[in-house]
Parts: sequence; C-alpha cells; structure tokens
Amino acid sequence: MEATIDVQGIHKRYGRTVAVDGLSFRVEPGLVTGFVGPNGAGKSTTMRIVLGLDSPDAGSAVIGGKRYASLRTPLREVGALLDASAIHPGRRARDHLLWMAHSNGIPRRRITEVLELVGLAQVAKRRAGGFSLGMKQRLGIAGALLGDPPVLMFDEPMNGLDPEGIHWIRGFLRSLAGDGRAILVSSHLMGELQDMADRLVVIGRGRLIADTSVRELLAAASDNRVFLRTGSRSEAMTVLANAGATVAITDRDAVTVSGLPAERIVALLTDARLPFSEIGQHRASLEEAYMELTRESVEFNAGEPS
Amino acid sequence: MTYQSTIQGVRGGFGQLLRAEWTKFWSVRSTVLCLLAAIGLSILLSMFLTFNSTDANEGPHYVDQFGFVYQPLAGDGSVVAHVQSQRDSHQWAKAGVIIKQSLQSGTPYAAVMVTPGHGVRFEATFNTQYTGTAAGGPRWLKLTRSGTSVTGFESGDGVTWTPVGTVTIAGLAPTAQVGLFVSSPPNYVVEKHFAGNDQHEVPTNGEATFDNVSVRPAVPTTLPAAPGPPVRWSFADILDTNRFPGGLAPGGFTETDGAFVVSGNGDIAGSESVSSLEAPTGDDIVKASLAGIQIGLIAFVALGVLYASSEYRTGLIRTTFTASPRRGRVLAAKAAVLGSVVLVAGLIASFGAFLAIQPKLHEKGYEPPAYPYLSLTNETVLRAVAGTALFLTLLALLSLGLGFVLRRSARAITLVLALVLVPQLAGDLIPSIEAAKWMVRLTPVAGLEIQQSRLRFDTAIGPWAGLAVLCGYAAVALLAALWMLRRRDA
Repeated sequence: MEATIDVQGIHKRYGRTVAVDGLSFRVEPGLVTGFVGPNGAGKSTTMRIVLGLDSPDAGSAVIGGKRYASLRTPLREVGALLDASAIHPGRRARDHLLWMAHSNGIPRRRITEVLELVGLAQVAKRRAGGFSLGMKQRLGIAGALLGDPPVLMFDEPMNGLDPEGIHWIRGFLRSLAGDGRAILVSSHLMGELQDMADRLVVIGRGRLIADTSVRELLAAASDNRVFLRTGSRSEAMTVLANAGATVAITDRDAVTVSGLPAERIVALLTDARLPFSEIGQHRASLEEAYMELTRESVEFNAGEPS
Repeated sequence: MTYQSTIQGVRGGFGQLLRAEWTKFWSVRSTVLCLLAAIGLSILLSMFLTFNSTDANEGPHYVDQFGFVYQPLAGDGSVVAHVQSQRDSHQWAKAGVIIKQSLQSGTPYAAVMVTPGHGVRFEATFNTQYTGTAAGGPRWLKLTRSGTSVTGFESGDGVTWTPVGTVTIAGLAPTAQVGLFVSSPPNYVVEKHFAGNDQHEVPTNGEATFDNVSVRPAVPTTLPAAPGPPVRWSFADILDTNRFPGGLAPGGFTETDGAFVVSGNGDIAGSESVSSLEAPTGDDIVKASLAGIQIGLIAFVALGVLYASSEYRTGLIRTTFTASPRRGRVLAAKAAVLGSVVLVAGLIASFGAFLAIQPKLHEKGYEPPAYPYLSLTNETVLRAVAGTALFLTLLALLSLGLGFVLRRSARAITLVLALVLVPQLAGDLIPSIEAAKWMVRLTPVAGLEIQQSRLRFDTAIGPWAGLAVLCGYAAVALLAALWMLRRRDA
C-alpha cells in the first residue's frame, strides 16, 4: 500500500456550523506534514473523516487509495492518536493495548515493543486513570504504533507534554518519517512544528489557506526584508524612504526595510553619516509566517471585539 | 520509499473482535466488581427480602363438605349407582358413590366419582387418589367393601366393571354409611384495590342425577328377609366448619321413580391433591425465592448500559471504531460477550438465590403439604430458575442496545429501570387486575414471568410468551443501536 493520505474536497457541517468547507490536500510518505490552524479550524474533524469516524457531506478521504472503512486490519495500515484522554481510566496501560492488538490480530510481543518505544514499559501495569497527560499522549502514540503502520496521524500530540517530551516527540516523529512513513501532525501552535515539519497544510474556518513546504513559507514571509537597528531612527527612515524603500518601525531603535538590498542600505546610511549598531537579513519565524497567513481567518480572536 | 508494516500474519476476523471485546470487559476493575455485585446482590437480597409467612399448613390439611344421601351398610357389601348427569358447576365438582366412617366431617372415606374437568376418580382418606377414565359424561360407579379394603369400579354399561383403585382403611367401622354424594368447590374472585387485593369465595352449587341406585350386603343375611319397610335413604349436609366457617347453602335430594337428584357443595379432598385449597392468591414460592433478582437486575442493567456508554463517556468509542471500522460487527461482538457473561453470572445468581432461600422459606411455614418442597429436578422449577438467567441476559442486551442509542449512562439506565420497575410498582397500585396485567404484558417486565410456577389471579402471560416479549424489546433496542451506529458519526 502506498503510504499517502488524500483528502479531496471534503465538506462537513454539524447543524449550522460548517466545520470543513471544501478541503483538499495530500500527505506524502517520508515527510512530516504539519496540519495547522486555529482552534475550531476543522483539523480534528478532517482527521475523523479520514478515519471513517465521521462521514463527510461531500468529498472523499482515502488512505493509500482506499477508504478507511474498507480496511480489514486498519491498525496495520494507519495509526492514529486523536484524543489522548480517550482511554478508560480503570484499564491498565498494557490491557488497553492488548484489546487493540487482539482486534487486529497483532501478536502480544508487539505490545512490549511499543511500550518500550514510547518509554512506558515501567508503568505498563498501572491503570491509565492515574497517568499524566504526557503519559497518556505516550500511551496514545504506542497505540498508534501497534500495527507498525506506514501512515500515522496525530492530533495535537504535544498538548500537555513538558519541554523534554516535546523534544522527544520531535525526534521521534522525524525518525518515523525517516523510515518512509507518511505523518500528519496537527497543531494550533505553529511554533511546535518548527524543526519538525517538512510540509505545512494550513487551514482556517475549514478552508485551505496554504499547502506548502516549510522552506517556501519562511522565504515568502521573510520577503527580502532587512532588519536595522539604529539610534537615529527617524533620520534613517527619511533617508531610506527618499531612496524608495518601505520602512516599518518594529522597535524604539529598530525598523524593517523592504525594497532595498542590504548593501544599498549600508551605503545610504554611511553617506548620510548615520550610525547603526546592527543590520541583517530579516528571518521570519514560522509563528510570524503563520500569523500573517491566518490573519483573516482567525475565528476565536480574543483581542478583537466581535 | 513507502514504508511497509513489519507486523505479519494478522487477520481481522470476528474471532479477533470477540477477543478484543472480552479483553475490554475483564480488564476494567469496576466492570468486574459490578458483575460480582450483581450476583451477590441477587443472592443476598433473596435471602433477606422479607415476604409474608404463610399459615396454609395450620388447621386440618383437608376439606370435607358435601351433600350426602346415605344409609348404613353393616359389614361387607357394595353400592352401585349410575350417574346420569352432572351439572358443570366447577371443574372439580364431584358426584359419585361413597363409603364413610360416620356423618362427621373429616372421618375416613373412600369414594368413586365423576368430575366435569378431571374424569373418573377414586379417592380415599384425603391422601389417596386414582384416576380412571378421562372422559366425563354418564358413568356407572361401584364401591365394594371387604373387611377394611374398599375397591372402586367404573363401567360404561353396568355390566363390565373396571377397577379404578383399592385402599385399605384401617379401623373402618363395621357399620359404615354408604350412598351418593355431590360436592362443588367455591370459585375465587379477587378484587384489586389501591395497593392490595381482596379474595372472596363464591359458592357453586353442584347437582347430579343418579339412577339404578342399589346397596347390596355381601352376605345375604342368613336370617329370613327382614320383614318391615326397606331401609330408607336419608340426607345430610356434611359441613366442614374449619374450611368454610361461613357455611354454605345446604344441599338436598329428591327421589322420583328411582332417580335421585342430589345437590351439595364444598369438596372432599386432601390439600396435596387440590383444587379447592389452592387459592389463586396463594404464594408462588418459586418466584418468591428469586425475589432478589428484581433488585439484582439493576446491577445487570448498569453493566449492559455501561459496556456501551462508558466508551462514549471516555471517547474510547473512536479508538474502537478506528481499530474495527465495521460497526455492526463491534455491536455483535459486544452483545455476544455481554450475553455470555451475563448468562453465566445469571445462572450463578439464580441458582444461588434459589438454593440459599429454601431453608428460609421452610422456616416461614412454606412446607408440605400446602407447599411441597421444591426440587431443581422439577421441570417447572428448573425453567423458572434457569429462565431467570435468560431474563437477565435479555435485559442486559436491551440495556446494551439503549446504551448505544442514548450514549449517556444515566439516561439509559434510568430508561431501562423505568421500563422494568414502573410497571411492577404501578401494577400493585392500580385497582384493576386487567390493567395491571396489560402493564406486564406490554413491557419488558413480562420476561420475569419466566419465574412463575403456578397460575394466580394476576398471572398476566405465560412464562415463555413473557420472555418473548422481552426478547422483542431487546431485538428492537439492538436493531435501533445498529441503525444509529451506522448512520451517526462516532
């Protein structure tokens, strides 16, 4: 089976709320695809539709060309972690994995393997109700890995993880992708995906905003702007504006300049005898790039009066 | 580039699904505790639930009241009569010939008789009974005495006689009273009031016409035929003031050209045999010994509901359907696992409750002869006790179905308990027997009728028909669950 997820024009509405509105994207093998959007953008709904849990009003979602519901041993094809707390609190971690393994005829020894893989081997006999959110996330990841599937989907896997856990999961997902698996990771915080995702599917209000590689996105957001720190901010702005640049204030003694290359800016400032302490290519963070992309589609914006 | 799973040889069959659901069942401590609580509750509550004691065994264990047309018979001899007709006043009305120690109620007797509902019978001393021809209708009857031995015969033509039975009556007086008798037990009418019943007896009047009546001493006396008038027939109302303290309308007889029309009421019977002692409000002690199940079932209902609804509460249902996308099979596997577990637990609970409570029942006066000891080898008892486990199984499946349909534990448990408990409570309260019966017939509580061991005035439906009603409810709930599961987002 080809390790891909293909989402084609899915629509989903719950009552009067449109959750997903004509979304299409593709998740490729060997890459970590970040699935980003603000809360309520439709990420979880999309994932549920891919897993055959919710049925779309229109469109289709297939895994390796097949509908999820047609898979006979789905845990071998797709691993998913939707909600880490969706476990019975009275069941031991090991037994939780045991019933999942039984349902797809997965041998028992695999349970020990995945528990070791996620670092839960020591607490396998404890009841899941006593687990921290981080431990639950690890248990959920263990469940997703049970069938050693080529396609993996994780919904907000870093929620509740401590920095060490986040560091672990980054490396872990990268290594899974390195095996040639297709990995879809959702997050509402673009920062979490930094240094992990290869591609990004950005959605807002159920619609696709961007489907791009991380590198392209960062380049586009940086937009050849130059960062400048100077004590004589207003004079510098006048000089640069006269030379045809667009200047934006970013701090008390800092501006970003677009429309002029860095060398030209240095020459202009030197000619005008204006001092500066720092100049360089502006590097947008993923966060910044994301804010720019989703500015129009933020649904729950706390700062804005509605 | 594409990765391939290293897990080989997996199959996604129904067997795997059963294994998965069974693992889910035993691996949660509260489920196992709930199951044990269900068994324990059923047994313990059966033991401690108080129900009325009975005084059915106090006083004489017989009834002896009838209309008697008699004359003395000295020594051995026989009495013959042809029952021309008998009024169908009661299925246990009796008409025939009798030999009796004296005119005192309760003294030893032997009689051969016809009944409208139970054919020809030969009965004696309140504890012996033989059955003859099943057919009713006109019949020749004969009793012969030889010492203390009495034999009853019947015949279709008065020529060829068939013995029905023989008894030995120790201490039968040398001169006993012989003749014709007629009895007819009262009918019972139960009136239902708010939270209670009243039972009335309505007397029935038995009547039969006899002809060809003769009494022949065995030894034609060596003395010359006694001169003087032949022995005359007399009539007596034999009254049983213990059983019928109020007395009943007296009987009587007329004789016209050798045809005797005799009337009377009451019954001649021991309490083991019978009919008129078996009041319709008598306790169903098989049902009573399983009373704890009616509380214990709450735990079984909770078990069934939670097996479905807890997956919704925790969100586990999504993991379940991710692992097994064919939802109908998940429902089937859950039903199979739950059904099997509850069947076994139900058998433990019902047999345990039944066996635990028997000594307690005996203490309360439920003893032979009015209440014979119950044995599990008795087909009715076995059906009631084992059937209770089937009732619990079907109830758990109904709960499972509603758990899936409603997805909320509290709602589903409340609904099932309302369906099972409300009809019982309301049935006790509403002052109409028919309405109370329909309450039972139309609700899942009909399934509890599998426990019935005797017909009572308030018996609503047969045992298996009752179970079938519950079966219908369970099937509808499971089909609704299936339809919802397929149609609804998980």
